[in-house]
Amino acid sequence: MRIIVQNSKCQGHARCAAQAPDIFKLDEDGYILPGDIEVAEGQELLASRGARSCPERALELGRALAARVESDVIQPRAWRA
Amino acid sequence: MTTNLVPDHVPPEMVRDFSLFTSPGMSPTPNGDPHAAVACAHDGPPIFYSPYNTQDGRGTWVITRAADQRKVLQDTETFSSHRSIFSSVLGETWPTIPLELDPPAHGVFRSLLSPLLSPKRVRVLEPAVRERAVTLIDSIAASGTSCDVMKEFAFPFTVSIFLRFLGLPDRRLDTFVGWAKDLLHGDDVKRPVAARTIVTFIDELATNRRKEPVDDLMTFIVQAQVEGRRLTDEEIRGIGVLVFVAGLDTVAAAIGFDLAYLARNLKDQELLRSEPDRIALAAEELLRAYPPIQLIRVATKDIDFEGAPIRKGDYVSCATMIANRDPAEFGCPNTIDLAREDNRHAAFGYGPHRCLGSHLARREIIIGLEEWLARIPAFRIKKGTAPITCGGHVFGIENLILDWS
Repeated sequence: MRIIVQNSKCQGHARCAAQAPDIFKLDEDGYILPGDIEVAEGQELLASRGARSCPERALELGRALAARVESDVIQPRAWRA
Repeated sequence: MTTNLVPDHVPPEMVRDFSLFTSPGMSPTPNGDPHAAVACAHDGPPIFYSPYNTQDGRGTWVITRAADQRKVLQDTETFSSHRSIFSSVLGETWPTIPLELDPPAHGVFRSLLSPLLSPKRVRVLEPAVRERAVTLIDSIAASGTSCDVMKEFAFPFTVSIFLRFLGLPDRRLDTFVGWAKDLLHGDDVKRPVAARTIVTFIDELATNRRKEPVDDLMTFIVQAQVEGRRLTDEEIRGIGVLVFVAGLDTVAAAIGFDLAYLARNLKDQELLRSEPDRIALAAEELLRAYPPIQLIRVATKDIDFEGAPIRKGDYVSCATMIANRDPAEFGCPNTIDLAREDNRHAAFGYGPHRCLGSHLARREIIIGLEEWLARIPAFRIKKGTAPITCGGHVFGIENLILDWS
């Protein structure tokens, strides 16, 4: 339900916001705003995609969110590979 | 190939005959695929020593795993980025800025320049970028059914956008590209001449903008303040030179490699043409497959890093094209899958020196592909021609003759 934001690791790639601009808010220079992100219901898949797009690993899925999206995300990917 | 002495502290079993400059496929090669050629780095140990792996012929450690490259590039205290990459060509030691400054000085200049190339700012530039692409492609489409994409589209498109950003006239585009070519791909005679020419040019530009300010990057730099003071001449030169060189051929090379891929893979080409919404995601995969540069850091202290006895002063190479083919990071790394998700590629580097121009570069690539595919029908490499590719300091593609007759 929550994305843990490690601001010190953010380097402004802005790939999270490219995936989900309404969930990942950036400052003027393109770095993520401070503070963990509460993900609204129905937004989990989009949020997890955004978090998993960070090249620096600055965005971590809170455990509840990780578990919830696992069944949606991991399995469909397996058959594609 | 120059045979360099391997430093005593490097165990002989960690030395590998691999180089971004001299390995097979790195010299100019017709129909080459230098990015695929370096993927062989993953067949060996995750870290090894290459005795000849920089433009000036120095040895480097080679970090192959993306996860290890992240560690190196995020740890600026242990791995400095200051190696006078440009000034050393002239026998000097001043840094390009902000690339070759380490924190905390780095942050001061990075914050100064970040707003100029932020995602927000790039959105403002976008209509001009698209207009430039459309003008060039329309003129190509009107004049026949074949062209050299590098000469007629990739370079004029990317470089003119860049020159506009810098405040430099389009009519000198060929001259500037020539300087960059000599600097990045030239021999020991051409390189210092090109470097001196560029420095003189940047210094004169700074002087002119001080006298007569206009609305451009150099005026911004000469008027800027950091920590309550104006920038020194050396700082202005360090910024000017970096921005000038960084924008001159990387994005053009990326567009060239991307269109070469699509010319050889007609199914993918048709998919992107009929469903242009797929281009943004595809562009990320093409960035993964065809990034142009290696990042080099200098060890500031002795450190045993993942089994490698790195000593103070050693060069450590993080080649983006190697990280991007890491099987531990990407499923089927040598397969180009334009629908690939979870694509945390290293094309723009990791850590605080993440490419400052990445947002502009990304939009140029996406817009370039969108407008090309919308205006040019099914295209292939023209029969009897072969794109010449090269590895080295900046991976490149010299010519790309496409045909849509």
